Amino acid sequence: MTAPVPSPMASASPNPAGVRITSLEERISGTGTGSSPLATQEYFVNMGPQHPSTHGVLRLVLRLDGETVREVVPVLGYIHRGIEKIGENGTYRQFVHLVDRMDYLSALANNWAVTMVIEKAANMETNERIQAIRTIVTELQRLHSHQLWWGVFGMDLGAFTPFFYGFRDHEILTDIFEKTIGARLTMNYIQPGGVMYDIHPDFVKDVKEFLAYFKPKLREYDALVTENVIIQQRLRGVGVLSAERAVAMGCTGPMLRASGVAHDLRKSEPYGLYGRVEFDVPVGTTGDCWDRYWVRMEEMRQSVRIVEQLIDNIPEGKHFLVKPAAKIKVPAGIHYSHLETARGILGVLLVSNGKDQPYRIHCRTPNFNNLWSITEMATGGRVADLVAILSSIDIVVPDIDR
Amino acid sequence: MGMITDGLPGFLEPLPGGSAVLTKVDQLVNWSRSNSLWPLTFGTSCCAIEMMMASGAARHDISRFGAEVVRASPRQADLIIIAGTIVKRMAPRLRTLYEQMAEPRYVIATGSCTIAGGPFIYHSYTTIRGADEIIPVDVYVPGCPPRPEALFYGLLTLQKMIREGESLRHPGERRRPVLSALPEGMTIEDIQAEMRDLLVADANVKMSEELAEGAHWAQELKDF
Repeated sequence: MTAPVPSPMASASPNPAGVRITSLEERISGTGTGSSPLATQEYFVNMGPQHPSTHGVLRLVLRLDGETVREVVPVLGYIHRGIEKIGENGTYRQFVHLVDRMDYLSALANNWAVTMVIEKAANMETNERIQAIRTIVTELQRLHSHQLWWGVFGMDLGAFTPFFYGFRDHEILTDIFEKTIGARLTMNYIQPGGVMYDIHPDFVKDVKEFLAYFKPKLREYDALVTENVIIQQRLRGVGVLSAERAVAMGCTGPMLRASGVAHDLRKSEPYGLYGRVEFDVPVGTTGDCWDRYWVRMEEMRQSVRIVEQLIDNIPEGKHFLVKPAAKIKVPAGIHYSHLETARGILGVLLVSNGKDQPYRIHCRTPNFNNLWSITEMATGGRVADLVAILSSIDIVVPDIDR
Repeated sequence: MGMITDGLPGFLEPLPGGSAVLTKVDQLVNWSRSNSLWPLTFGTSCCAIEMMMASGAARHDISRFGAEVVRASPRQADLIIIAGTIVKRMAPRLRTLYEQMAEPRYVIATGSCTIAGGPFIYHSYTTIRGADEIIPVDVYVPGCPPRPEALFYGLLTLQKMIREGESLRHPGERRRPVLSALPEGMTIEDIQAEMRDLLVADANVKMSEELAEGAHWAQELKDF
């Protein structure tokens, strides 16, 4: 019998659930815990890339001892398309539509992140109307993304009904986007120098109707899932991530806030019209799956609040301030800008050599760092909890692999 | 079922009138196959979300077309809807999944990525330019990502193909009824002529008409 492969991760992990990790020799000889003289054997299980709970093509290699997870190693690259490399071969404007396909559930925020760094570097002007439209649609898409997460989260925990409820409201919002933007998912709407199209004449009316419809529905979501005892039992105390570890691993967005760090770029470095609206940053206490669930539910309420404040007074003006076919040239140098998507901080680093094509682009995507926290959260827990933890991270795999 | 599909042609064909019976059995088998497709949950990127909206959610509801039993295991599925880009690392896994599926198996490729590489067709060092380089594809559904309605049209086309294109006499062979989708009174020459006109119209721009039509853009261009 061979000894298990010693792993640096297992020895370094803080072992949050209080499970004693014993070696195979200890288990066989019965000297380790003293509880069981029966010999157990650690074994490896491959979860993914084809698995309904990994949200795409993520692959996790699990080292298991019975039902206990000893180690989780994510294996990436099953949807690596080289978006950053393709971006070097096109103009700045051509890069915008590629980032839609990165984190496709918050395509507008991705558009805005690229637009922001180009506008900052090239000193392009925008007006109030453009900023208002950008803020409203991005905030609506945060809602859109959280609705989908809520439905899928329920399905991963074994409840199918939330999926129907989440998608019912998701579709109404999709219709509003379709009217103005013309797309349902990959928007390509926010461009350097403005937004692609002016808002539809019905946009304001539709959004108001949706908000009036959706606010009572949030109470329905609570009654269905949040107040459910089974859900609470499955989430409380599972997958705890301390604030120190969350910061050390570079987690952002709802993951970080659930661990008790009130860091939100919308508050700390306001962009768009976020500086003018009132909203709270929901913060968790323990950093378990329940806190991550609760933070996202609260964020939906805050998004509704933000849109309500902005929707009535969209200023008049143009929606596009540069010539449609104009070449954008960015001065030579290194430029960086970041914003808060539905999943965390998306930073775009742009290296320019003064031509109309970028020399190098790098995207610091939120999901990559958020995913890696699973190596600490799931260790020592059960296999059934692993799915709940993975779903509470709310990963989008093409955003990890790019 | 196995007895019918494997043994029946050899038994019936020599009998008088056996061919007519076999044709009726063909129709019955194809009808039942086309209306009980079990798709596999396979999605790599954006198209998977539209597929979820089409298959899971209540508004579009794929079960109206008899394909709602979505399975996570390829061994229980006979339809794979390839939703999303296939990259070099995923290609062997896709092939394995296809080979694990129950026969007869069908493939719908949704989205431009699985048709030709989509937005990643140029300069990408990993993307497979079209899923048909890995597995045989029956129906292509264009779009980036395609709407749920487009997916349904693809599914209906596949059902039509199953109903009209297969026979127990030649298992594994499919006739593709490409022209059967044309409206009455239209020939392929008409379509080609129309396409030619469209291409010519696309390649030439009459500035006077353009300006008259798009007064909005004209105004905007004048301002600069």
